[in-house]
Amino acid sequence: MQRPDPQKITEALAARFSSPTRSTRLTVVLGRWLAVSFTICFVTGLFSHGLQNPPSWMFFPTSPVWIYQLSQGLHVTSGIASIPLLLAKLWSVYPELLRWPLVKSIPHALERASIALFIASSLLQLTTGLINTYKWYPWPFPFRETHYWLAWVIWGSLLLHIAVKLPAIMTNWNGRAVRLTELQDAGSGSPAAGTEASSIAGVTGAAPGRWSRRAFLAGVGVTTGAVVLTTAGQSFSWLSPLNLFAPRVMGTGPQSVPVNRTATEAKVADLATSAHWSLEVTYQGSSTTFSLAELRALPQHEQELPIACVEGWSQMARWRGVRIRDLLSAVGAPHASVLRVTSLEPQGPYRLMSMPAEYVQDERTLVALELNGAVLDVEHGYPARIIAPGRPGVLQTKWLHTVEVL
Amino acid sequence: MTAGRAVLGLAGAGLIWYGLLGLPSQLGPAQLVGLLTWMAVAVLLHDGVIVPLSTLAGAALTRTGSRLRPASAGILRGTLMTGAAVSLIAGILMKAQSEARSISALEGDYAGNIFGFWAGLAFVAAASIYAVERTGRTRSGKGDSRQNTRP
Repeated sequence: MQRPDPQKITEALAARFSSPTRSTRLTVVLGRWLAVSFTICFVTGLFSHGLQNPPSWMFFPTSPVWIYQLSQGLHVTSGIASIPLLLAKLWSVYPELLRWPLVKSIPHALERASIALFIASSLLQLTTGLINTYKWYPWPFPFRETHYWLAWVIWGSLLLHIAVKLPAIMTNWNGRAVRLTELQDAGSGSPAAGTEASSIAGVTGAAPGRWSRRAFLAGVGVTTGAVVLTTAGQSFSWLSPLNLFAPRVMGTGPQSVPVNRTATEAKVADLATSAHWSLEVTYQGSSTTFSLAELRALPQHEQELPIACVEGWSQMARWRGVRIRDLLSAVGAPHASVLRVTSLEPQGPYRLMSMPAEYVQDERTLVALELNGAVLDVEHGYPARIIAPGRPGVLQTKWLHTVEVL
Repeated sequence: MTAGRAVLGLAGAGLIWYGLLGLPSQLGPAQLVGLLTWMAVAVLLHDGVIVPLSTLAGAALTRTGSRLRPASAGILRGTLMTGAAVSLIAGILMKAQSEARSISALEGDYAGNIFGFWAGLAFVAAASIYAVERTGRTRSGKGDSRQNTRP
């Protein structure tokens, strides 16, 4: 019995998946779009990670107050935009998967391995990143750590991939030059130089029933626009009327502000509503306690600041309370202090929060007692919470317990 | 260009190495196995299900679209591509809603929204295709040589 020839099998499969719409030029254009969205995602993700786990050189911008609202909104939105872009890019090179032999040499094996790593990491990163915004964690690994390290793997793979494919990218960078070459090759009957699938689809229009390269790119553009427009309204108020498929809607939740971690989830409902609650401020070994009435007796200030979550949603709101620097003055501590703030939460990754001096000195940073004209709801951190300009929501500690001047 | 490629390639390999070394510093063995399993499943789902299904759909559209003008065929394909991508996101969202709904999160009527989205998309697509076909027919009737003829 004759053994099946793997080359013939893969060639037959590749023929099944062939399409005149595919070309190197198409892949290069999609690759450019994807590189832009991945880079926005990577840079904004690093910024968010740096704010939460600051290295020694980290900077902490407090102006404009919406800087984190913008950066994290861009992070999640560019991640969502990357989904159709990645799927289209992978579709454009799918026949490459079926090339035989699988490995021709050691450099070829390394190249294929790096592409496999890039594809697997990217698919997982975008899928888990999207699902994380739903606060649903069906996987057996920690999200935050995996998301962070995979981001380096993906961006590194992207650079390596660009390095390997640079000649093809350069050849197909200029659309007019590519079309001219394709027209000449179509005229002479030879395959288009530098293209994997010789195609005149981008030049003379589509084959019957198919679409041209331009139409395909327009379709991908419209698709990306549709997923962005129907989800980005959770991050950008001017898009909120179109918000159909985001997990959060602006203006919802207690006091018209969405909630991330509830009092029940944090196990603080009893402690937070206790009549004996007080805020303890520690400086140079001595402690001063402030009851809720004493905090209310201090000068009150109102600020319009966004609460911006790492999961991409955000909401502008009016906060009223005591300036954190006034609180420090009340205990004789300098304004240029670093603080360690503790929540009433018995446990959890954000029970302890460190506040760099940039936020402490800023007059807009409050120990908030009211939200949108009413006493804080327990879901928003009653009796007192931190609100500072330009910080991730997870660092806007709710249900305050202690403030320690370091 | 060779030097540029070398720098890019080395930088890329370095970043990959950095990320791959970082993962086991914060994930235990069982979590790493879970991560690799999820990555493998993601690739299998993509290469083994999503692309073959989209290829099948594309083949069916080629047959349907060949009876239409090229612009109409493009609109039809673009509509289905847009609808499929938005449905993919909405489908995951609805699954999450059944698992992790909480105060002010996942409270939307996503089933109603995706129905409305498809209805709007279908209406816009149908109107556009109708306009393209009608305009093309009128021009063909007037002997406009610039217009693509039907295959």
